[in-house]
Amino acid sequence: MSNLLQEIEAQISGVKTSVNKQNVGIVRECADGVAKIEGLTDAMLNEMLDFGNGVTGLALNLEETEVGAIILGDYLSIHEGQEVKTTGKLLSVPVGKGLLGRVVNMLGQPIDGKGPIKEDAFYPVEKIAPGIIRRKSVSQPVQTGIMAIDAMIPIGRGQRELIIGDRGTGKTTIGVDTMINQARNNKVGRASGDKTFRPIYNIYVAIGQKQSNVARVIAELEKADAMGDTIVVAASASDSAANQYMAPFSGAAMGEWFMDNGMDALIIYDDLSKQAVAYRQVSLVLKRPSGREAYPGDVFYLHSRLLERSARVSEKYGNGSLTALPIVETQAGDVSAYIPTNVISITDGQIFLETDLFYQGVRPAVSVGLSVSRVGSAAQIKAMKQVAGRLKGDLAQFRELAAFAQFGSDLDAKTQGILERGKRVVEVFKQPQFDPIAVEIQVAVLWTVQNNYFDDVDVEKIKDFQAKLTEFLTTRKADLLTKIRTEKAINDALAAELKAAVGEFKQTYR
Amino acid sequence: MKTTKQARRDAKQLFHTCKVSGLLDETRVRNVVGAVIAQKPRGYVGILTHFQRLVKLDLDRRAARVESAVPVSEALQQSVKANLGLRYGPGLAVTFAVNPALIGGLRVKVGSDVFDGSVKARLSELEASF
Repeated sequence: MSNLLQEIEAQISGVKTSVNKQNVGIVRECADGVAKIEGLTDAMLNEMLDFGNGVTGLALNLEETEVGAIILGDYLSIHEGQEVKTTGKLLSVPVGKGLLGRVVNMLGQPIDGKGPIKEDAFYPVEKIAPGIIRRKSVSQPVQTGIMAIDAMIPIGRGQRELIIGDRGTGKTTIGVDTMINQARNNKVGRASGDKTFRPIYNIYVAIGQKQSNVARVIAELEKADAMGDTIVVAASASDSAANQYMAPFSGAAMGEWFMDNGMDALIIYDDLSKQAVAYRQVSLVLKRPSGREAYPGDVFYLHSRLLERSARVSEKYGNGSLTALPIVETQAGDVSAYIPTNVISITDGQIFLETDLFYQGVRPAVSVGLSVSRVGSAAQIKAMKQVAGRLKGDLAQFRELAAFAQFGSDLDAKTQGILERGKRVVEVFKQPQFDPIAVEIQVAVLWTVQNNYFDDVDVEKIKDFQAKLTEFLTTRKADLLTKIRTEKAINDALAAELKAAVGEFKQTYR
Repeated sequence: MKTTKQARRDAKQLFHTCKVSGLLDETRVRNVVGAVIAQKPRGYVGILTHFQRLVKLDLDRRAARVESAVPVSEALQQSVKANLGLRYGPGLAVTFAVNPALIGGLRVKVGSDVFDGSVKARLSELEASF
């Protein structure tokens, strides 16, 4: 017994009480979510600061005599003279599959009331994008389920495609449709038991939006049973500017985890113009010099470093990808404003939505002339290339002629033909919201258009014809659609089968 | 009153002239303030305000505050002073204070560095770990 006591005594004497060195500062002023802190001589750039009571900050400005920090969390509880400690850590968020189906804030904390999140790891919010060696060119498609986009402005995994347009032109809808289509494809792929199938996970980052809008998007995703494959990061209009400015970076960190672990993810930033405004506010309060439209000088770097993190990684490094669909809102269709031009130049193409088209009833209101995809055509499946190859040129020609044809009535047969075809293609591309179309149906319908089966249908009846054709193919010729999906190309045999099927349908259609 | 950039630059230059081998010299500081007030250069109030701020930050940086739960013996005070001198160099203004809330141990604050070896800090650390 005495041995035991001696042992404990010896162990106690062996324990050294170490004193940790801490670096502290004093809050000198605090306003608009930004604190100026005196002291903190050891603070590093972008380091997390501990304000106590669970409030954290981020050191953004290291000046000669003070540190400027943004406060993440409730800044009303911070008062002058309060002590602030450095933590030596970078701001990190939880990442992993446990976040799927959840709604989180900028710090990765759940805000949907469904209990705690089981994370796989923590990722720093600011991370350097994958370098040249790790990257691979875009070669696999992301099917948005929107026929006009998949046919003419195809998007590949790892691409950054900007969605740009005025307010109320359906920018968010394109994003939501794409997410719903990914969830549907994932379901079909998982059910098929195909070992090579790669699901795409969605991340939706809502920045500076009304809470009601975010709730509506979540409700739509739930209705379409797409929440299971989706993470929603929400920094709504009532959150502080600091939270709004950091939210896309946390979303990107969550997406990077999928990419690093050999999976594919799709991230939608809705929208980056509001994020730029939030960043402008933070910068002005931090007294950083302002430039054009009062944005700080590094607003380009803000967006470029964010979007550079979307990449397709080569097989050697896991073969994952992160596709980004940033959204930017324009004022009165002005794409030459500061933020739109910046983001257009950063991304690999843009989908431009026009108000005029929207009110003409062309929905999605994709402007064919101004929209482009710089890398996506390499990712299109062969069948789609076969049926949609010339579509964009034809439509552009149609628009030109349509403007011209308004003045005269005497048109030669060729021009007449282009106009009639164009009107039908425009009709075919109209699509209701939240109802993405599977790629095999898109291919079949476009094949039917290209092979002149729509030409003798009245323009008013095109949508009806298309709907009935789709119904006929899905109910009666499901095996044909499966063949298109699996073979991904239209060979002679498949073309003959399609011809027979469409011929059969035309006989019954009235 | 807003301090102009020029005033800040002047104040900084004056502040540097007050340094003797890296340490702030009190008599020079007094002389500088007296001379500026006598000559009244353009924006001298701004210069002096910023100068005061620089001096205050320098004093804060060189101020060491040692808190303990019970009064510290003279020998311990000397050894703490000597150790701090070794770590932070000469010119430290060390003050000692009694703070019963610490329960036991020492809490040393030098500039913005804090070495907290008090019982209270350890208890709160323990509390946070639960």
